[in-house]
Amino acid sequence: MGIISINKLDNLYWLGRYTERVYTSIRKFYRIYDSMIEAPEGEYKIYCEKLNIPDIYSGNTEFLTSYIFSKENPDSLYSNMSRAYDNAIVLREELSSNVLAYVQLALDTFETNMTSRAPLLELQSVIDYLLAFWGCVDDYVEDEDCRNIMKCGKYVERMDLYIRLDYHIRDIEKEFNKLANRIHKTHMYYNIEKLDKLADVINEKSEASAGYQEALNCLDGIIEVK
Amino acid sequence: MSKEAKFGFLALFLLKKDLAEQSTQGEESEALIMNGLVEHAESINRLLARYGVKFGIYKNNEFHEQLFPFDAIPRVITHEDFQYLEKGLIQRVDALNLFLKDIYSDKQIIKDGVVPEEFVFVSSGYLPQCEGICPPKGIYSHISGIDLVQEKDGEWYILEDNLRIPSGASYPLIARELCRRASPLTFRNTPVIDNRDYGRLLKEVMDNVNVGGIKVIMTPGRYNAAYFEHSYLAEKTDSELAMNTDLFVEKNYLYHKDYMGNKQKVGVIYRRISDEYLDPMTFEAESLIGIPNIMDVYRAGNVAIINAPGNGVADDKGIYYFVPKMIEYYLHEMPILKNAPTYLPFYEEDRKYVLDNLEKLVIKDVAEAGGYGVVFGDKLSKEELENMKQLIIKESRRFIAQEVIDFLDIDIMDQGEKVARKADLRAFVLSGKETKVWASGLTRFTRNPDSFIVNSSQGGGFKDTWVLSR
Repeated sequence: MGIISINKLDNLYWLGRYTERVYTSIRKFYRIYDSMIEAPEGEYKIYCEKLNIPDIYSGNTEFLTSYIFSKENPDSLYSNMSRAYDNAIVLREELSSNVLAYVQLALDTFETNMTSRAPLLELQSVIDYLLAFWGCVDDYVEDEDCRNIMKCGKYVERMDLYIRLDYHIRDIEKEFNKLANRIHKTHMYYNIEKLDKLADVINEKSEASAGYQEALNCLDGIIEVK
Repeated sequence: MSKEAKFGFLALFLLKKDLAEQSTQGEESEALIMNGLVEHAESINRLLARYGVKFGIYKNNEFHEQLFPFDAIPRVITHEDFQYLEKGLIQRVDALNLFLKDIYSDKQIIKDGVVPEEFVFVSSGYLPQCEGICPPKGIYSHISGIDLVQEKDGEWYILEDNLRIPSGASYPLIARELCRRASPLTFRNTPVIDNRDYGRLLKEVMDNVNVGGIKVIMTPGRYNAAYFEHSYLAEKTDSELAMNTDLFVEKNYLYHKDYMGNKQKVGVIYRRISDEYLDPMTFEAESLIGIPNIMDVYRAGNVAIINAPGNGVADDKGIYYFVPKMIEYYLHEMPILKNAPTYLPFYEEDRKYVLDNLEKLVIKDVAEAGGYGVVFGDKLSKEELENMKQLIIKESRRFIAQEVIDFLDIDIMDQGEKVARKADLRAFVLSGKETKVWASGLTRFTRNPDSFIVNSSQGGGFKDTWVLSR
């Protein structure tokens, strides 16, 4: 097993989180985009509230473009993909060039389609590249610890989004089990009390929204990187 | 109904004009509606390929999978037209269901001389093995695919009823999903009824007749022409997609077994195989794709089969002629939708007309389907005409003849050019607690400028079918 510095651990964990943020957001965004076709003006505000991102948009149309492609908008999918890239670019040795290439391809897809009139069609390629990225991680990332750290980041992010976006408790539970199973395999410090508390919150609530804030608080403090 | 109201494309044009005038950026708005989909047609077709939207075809005994070419210009059906079609289609399918119930029980319509028995009992679709069976809730045709064409003056005509296993709903269903992704503005600016509820409608139909157990869509396998549809509809209805090897009969119940050997009772099976292959113990003994003894389970009322076996007797090309009479007989109503003018050489008067006018008629062999066995009189040589006449005289029950309907051309894009081509419409009518018409349908078009044959197996493409909500 290679040595993983604190900085590398941070990069691996956040690479997992940002790639997952982009991936799940796009998948959810397909539905949001579709529902906004017939929805009244301002419908996007609900989405902003759920994700706890500032409403800097003038309307549905601006939201749909700025939220995907804007370089200036720190909450845009593009910005999140850029952060994934920033974390990945310093991990070539751990990831391998083959794995890194898929992060690059996903980012390039955003950059080459900023003026596209059919952004959802283009985003399909981002999804494809991110799925290929995770497939490649299993094949090419030699160090098991590296893989586990990245996957912990992925599951934490996925749970965070699922809770915020009102996914069914069954889906959240499934992701929790993946996280709980994976986190024990890493050598990272994690807060076992918060993990147990999160398990209790999930087991007790039939609806995600009921323990929404409590679950997010627990999730937020499970893994402390830096 | 005004003449204008009958023309979907005209309604869309007026709607666009209206929207464009309302908009401060009129030209841009209209361009977006007009071009949004066409601009992305290639991408949509690429995505259709990605999702495996294909159909299978056998050529020289080899199986080939082909993409079903999609044209991005939709067929538009106005709100008024759809209301009219909806009434007519519900009426027609309700009458056909009553006919099937009657034929496999009292046969009153034959006794009353409305439909001659010659057209019932010699039909290959009539199955004596189904005599006396009343399916759950008395529904025979749960999913009916009714083929229509629109004449140039706007009048709609029924071309064919498909009551066995009509396919095609999955194509506009997935196409709409992708079109909305490609050009959301098009849909924001046009009042198109969302057609993506087909899975829910089909599920309702299956649940309505489920006698207790899981829902299964049975496919003969991936080498079937419509395998994409089988698997897609299973996904959309939360049904198990199963082959005959997954299903078995035990003590007069149908079961699905998993890899562990666990079995689950099947309450409803939407089988996508033909009647003759369904049960080797009852029908074609050499069938390797059927489920032995499923007909016993069905007869005992322990499983619902969608659509009911034996429906072929009602969608026979010969029986088609009598459907308007059925409507009057069973429902005591005048038919709302018209048949294409049809002649039965079986009747002397009709035979005379057919023989005298063969060169301007279209002749259909009642035993054929899929666009095969269709002959246009004007395409035949003198010798061929004479041969056909002799064949009609000799086997008068085998053929029907119809006036050639000069049906409406619809715009398609062909290598960047907008050209007009013949197109038909398959409307899907679902019979559950009530009879409903899916607010969409499969529009098939010919890519050959000289052809009326729109079937996918003969090179045709498809379009989305928009039904306007106002």
